Amino acid sequence: MSLDLIAPLMFAGLVVFLMLGYPVAFSLAFTGLAFGLLGIELGMLQPALLQALPERVLGIMANSTLLAIPFFTLMGLILERSGMAEELLDTVGQLFGAIRGGVAYAVVFVGALLAATTGVVAASVLAMGLISLPVMMRYGYSNRLSSGVIAASGTLAQIIPPSLVLIVLADQMGTSVGDMYEGALFPGLGLAVLYAVWVLIVSIVKPEAAPACPPEMRTLHGAKLVGKVFTSMIPPLVLIFLVLGTIFIGVATPTEGGAMGASGALVMALAKRKLSWQLLRQAVESTATMTSFVMFILVGSTVFSLVFRGVNGDLWVERLLLHVPGGALGFLVVVNVMIFLLAFFLDYFEIAFIMVPLLTPVAQKLGIDLIWFGVLLAVNMQTSFLHPPFGFALFYLRSVAPKSVKTTDIYWGAIPFVCIQILMVATVIAFPRLVTSHVTAAETVKGTGAEELQRQMQEMQPGAPAAGKAPAAGDQKSDDATSEIERALKEEK
Amino acid sequence: MKSLLRFARAIDRLNELIGRGVSWLGLAAVLICAAAAIARYGMNIGSNAWLEIQWYLNAAVFLLVAAYALKRNDHVRIDAIAGRLPPRFLAWIDIVGGIVALLPTTLIIAWYSWPSLANSFHISEYSSDPGGLIRWPVRLLIPVSFTLLALQGVSEIIKRVGFLKGMVPASEFERREHAS
Repeated sequence: MSLDLIAPLMFAGLVVFLMLGYPVAFSLAFTGLAFGLLGIELGMLQPALLQALPERVLGIMANSTLLAIPFFTLMGLILERSGMAEELLDTVGQLFGAIRGGVAYAVVFVGALLAATTGVVAASVLAMGLISLPVMMRYGYSNRLSSGVIAASGTLAQIIPPSLVLIVLADQMGTSVGDMYEGALFPGLGLAVLYAVWVLIVSIVKPEAAPACPPEMRTLHGAKLVGKVFTSMIPPLVLIFLVLGTIFIGVATPTEGGAMGASGALVMALAKRKLSWQLLRQAVESTATMTSFVMFILVGSTVFSLVFRGVNGDLWVERLLLHVPGGALGFLVVVNVMIFLLAFFLDYFEIAFIMVPLLTPVAQKLGIDLIWFGVLLAVNMQTSFLHPPFGFALFYLRSVAPKSVKTTDIYWGAIPFVCIQILMVATVIAFPRLVTSHVTAAETVKGTGAEELQRQMQEMQPGAPAAGKAPAAGDQKSDDATSEIERALKEEK
Repeated sequence: MKSLLRFARAIDRLNELIGRGVSWLGLAAVLICAAAAIARYGMNIGSNAWLEIQWYLNAAVFLLVAAYALKRNDHVRIDAIAGRLPPRFLAWIDIVGGIVALLPTTLIIAWYSWPSLANSFHISEYSSDPGGLIRWPVRLLIPVSFTLLALQGVSEIIKRVGFLKGMVPASEFERREHAS
């Protein structure tokens, strides 16, 4: 009986460690390892578990979608350090200057755009935090509104196509990626609109939190403004649309788009004679350290989740699920609450690979439309990125925000947007047609490779909780899964 | 204590040197990826070697820079509660955390990565994709990275103890702002 307590204890231990303020990556890895050793001591886990750890690290190293993180970070940093991004938002500020909350709308708009280019939350949040936050602070926006709108808009990458989350989910559920995209389009764009509505409400109720650009800063008018628009707005916008466009029409993968974007930013900075050696060195070093801590959070969480599964954390979760009253609706509500909580410490890859294979058969038995279910989970996981105190988007923003922005500002700023997210989850649960009616042709074309992948995942699943060896084998599979996803991505386009 | 601090500074310099140097590989990865993309779609040529060298480079960057990031105190913390605690208490958390959590974790992962590295080297393991690269250099990155991290962990512990003794200013390990 006491063995059942290990998984809940493990979660509690992680919470304590994190709250003490020790680096997230090492807290995750340590909690995982400590309970792993305990599990081995109690005979729950095999010592082979320890050998599986370096393999998991290798799996993260070889994950080619994660390559997009440094690429888009470098692009954002070059645009920011060379002053081009600031000039861009400045010009947008001049254009929308008279409107209260103008820059905040620009952030939502740019966020949706970036979401459509990167599909990687970390990259979006880092880039927007670097670019927009200083400008908003200078214009006198409240720290809470600025950080909230940036974190929330950054997480749009989770849900707006070509989101990586949707690709992973589609593969896991055996549905078509294209259908998933179509289904997610409405909730994704709807969220962006709701964010803008919230900015509007704030600018009416609390005008001082979202000021118009001060008149003395609106220095350009008429022809001069038009000229400024051409020199400062057009080049970055062309860059963004080139990156976005090539990804959308399927010429480039998000990773390649990121590399092209970063190279393009370098060329532009060179052309504007703003690329100094010093600037390049700083940008390259900051990209490296940021990538490092993001990847190490992933390394930490992979250690944690490996052991969590090993000590039957997934069974603990499953058992909690089985006692749910209320049929399909009860299941959906509980699943959403659960994913919401799990996503505090698992990233979406982990959830997709661990939880979704457990949930999909149950959902199918209850007659739940899988596209709807998948989109619902995607919106939900996006919420968890934003939820204080463990939302990953908030960590990322914290890491690039100046010290004068307090962590509590970031937390409080996120809360209205979390409410918007929950509203959207509830809406999607209440009105499935919002998702399903956008999916053309009910004859669901099975995603290529998805069924095969599904089969593989199910094969690895039964062995996973008991033996330490299974996760190692699973790694091999998820390696395959990544290439499958890439292939599916290309074929969908 | 003085010689310990000298030792800590030597570790700092080592990891700073490695971190700064390795960072440039990230730029190389960007340029290679962009060039490979253009070559693939423009001239319809390409190979798995070009794709794999990208993640090799990126892995080298994030693994070998981790210790330097630790030195810069760049690894993200949750400071909602900790931010309100006195600096001495935080130094204690870092000392205890370093000894209990960071050192064992990094050393265990470094230690257990040797067998697969040795095996990979022994059988000269290659990527399973055609035209792929030899594997042991990336496998080597794991023990090197986690050993450097452990070393940096030792340095951080020494510096925190120095701080508690009033021999090291807090500025030496405070997080530097990215905006600088």
